[in-house]
Parts: sequence; C-alpha cells; structure tokens
Amino acid sequence: MLKTRTWVIILAAVLICAVGLSFWTLGRKADGTVANVYQDGVCIRSVDLSRVTESERIVIEGAGGTNTILVEPGRICIEAADCPDQVCVNTGWISDSAAPIVCLPHRLVIRIEGGAESDGAPDALSQ
Amino acid sequence: MSVRRLTRAAVLTAVALVIFIIELQIPTLVPVPGVKLGLANIVTVFSMFLLGPADTAAILVCRILLGSMFSGQMMSLLYSMSGGLLCYLVMLLMRNIVTYRQIWVCSVVGAIAHNIGQIAVAILVTNTPALLAYLPVLMVSGIIAGLFTGFCAQFAVTKLKGLSDEMERQNGRKK
Repeated sequence: MLKTRTWVIILAAVLICAVGLSFWTLGRKADGTVANVYQDGVCIRSVDLSRVTESERIVIEGAGGTNTILVEPGRICIEAADCPDQVCVNTGWISDSAAPIVCLPHRLVIRIEGGAESDGAPDALSQ
Repeated sequence: MSVRRLTRAAVLTAVALVIFIIELQIPTLVPVPGVKLGLANIVTVFSMFLLGPADTAAILVCRILLGSMFSGQMMSLLYSMSGGLLCYLVMLLMRNIVTYRQIWVCSVVGAIAHNIGQIAVAILVTNTPALLAYLPVLMVSGIIAGLFTGFCAQFAVTKLKGLSDEMERQNGRKK
C-alpha cells in the first residue's frame, strides 16, 4: 500500500508532464500547407491552402453522416456536421497546426501536411 | 445470482445511465475529441469497491450499450467500449493496491486508462497516428475529471459504508 502522499506526488508529476506535453503538441506547426481530408484512414481530398483564392464548401458524405468543410485562403474548418458531439465543428479553423481536426463518429480527419497523400489524381483545387 | 444482487446491479445501471444521459446535455468545453467529465464513472468506481469486479463489469457493459442506444451515438460505441474496458481492467488492478481512503487515486488512474484506450482505438480506426497529439490534453482532462468523479465515489462509498458492510457480510455468507 502506497501512502496517499506518494500517490499525490506521482499523479502531480504525471499532470505536470501532460500539461507540458500538451503545450508542445498543440503548439507544433505543420510542415506544409496542404490540407488532406481522410475518411476511414484513406485520403479522399487534398487542398493546397496557400493556393486557395476564394472560399469553397466541400460536403463529405460518409457511412456515419455528413460533414460540411469550409475552405478559405490559408485556412480550413468543418462548418457543420450531423454528428451528436460537434467536436469537429467546435475545433474551428486550422491553418498551420500539426493537430488535426477530427470527427470521430464519422471517422473523418483533416490534417495539414507537406503534400497530397492521395493515390488518385489531385483534384482541381490542389493544382 | 440472488435477486438482491441482480436488483442492486440493475439499480446502479439505471443510475449510471441517467447520469450518462444528463451529462450528454452539457456542451463540450474543449474541442478535443474524447474530453468529458465521465460522471457515470462514479457508479463504476463505487460498485468496483462495494459490489466487486463481476457486478461492475455487468453494470459497465450494460450502461455503455444502453447509453449508446439511448443517445443515438452508435458510432461512438467502439470508443466508449474500448475506453471503458481498459479503464475497468486498470481499476481492477488498482482496487487491490489502494485503501478505502485512496479510492480517488483508482478513479484518476482509471480515467487516464480510459482516455488512452479511446485514443488508441481512434488511431486504429481512422489510421491517423497524428491523433496522438491529443493524448496529453486528454490525460490532463482525465486527471481532473478523474479527481472529481473519484472524490464523489469515495464520498458515496464512505457514506454507504454501513450498507457495504452489510453487503460484504451477505457476500461472505453466500460463499
């Protein structure tokens, strides 16, 4: 049996490490300007945010539901989703952060990366 | 299984379910997938110490299944279940190494395990290792939420100690 004080010290140490790591991981910048949209782990859409000139809506239909992605010059967000938790909508705009926008119920992820990871031909937006 | 034991587990499942549904009405504070208070965990911790592992497993699985159905979040079932089961296993170990005055520690470690299980499955399902970036934030939220639910559970266990002694006497008599 560990003393309560020992537990407090262990948990406080973990908490401090986690806070430090949080700032580090959330503050990291992405190494690129291409927003890749993944569904079930497969890249289904790539948009080079640095070349976007006018805003555009992209509607992604999936097995779980629909997400409406809004692209503007230099930034991207999920504008609306019919998932219950709305975490992806509340994440808001991302432009250069390494942390992705995630919609777990619809298994949709938007990441900013160095280049398009799509296997198929890049779509009109990324050219 | 005695009627008394079944009833006790059923009542606690209902309590956990109600807490779970009410918590869904609270809007998410932080836009990070998986951050939540996890108030229903109070019931899990409570029953882990007063009812034992078998009843707790039944309560937990029923609550997660029914909770997903009632809230219409079947897509989230996988995440809840994996987090819940990892949390259960870790609390099962913790149960043997903490005293009745350290129940909150068990809850905190369980909450961290819950978040790790959840993010692991999310990484597997979406095939996106970058989700790991959210793990530290989840651990911070897990520790804070675990502290709160843990102290709630410890308070309940302490207050119902008389009842628990009676339960243990009955469990002992049955064996």
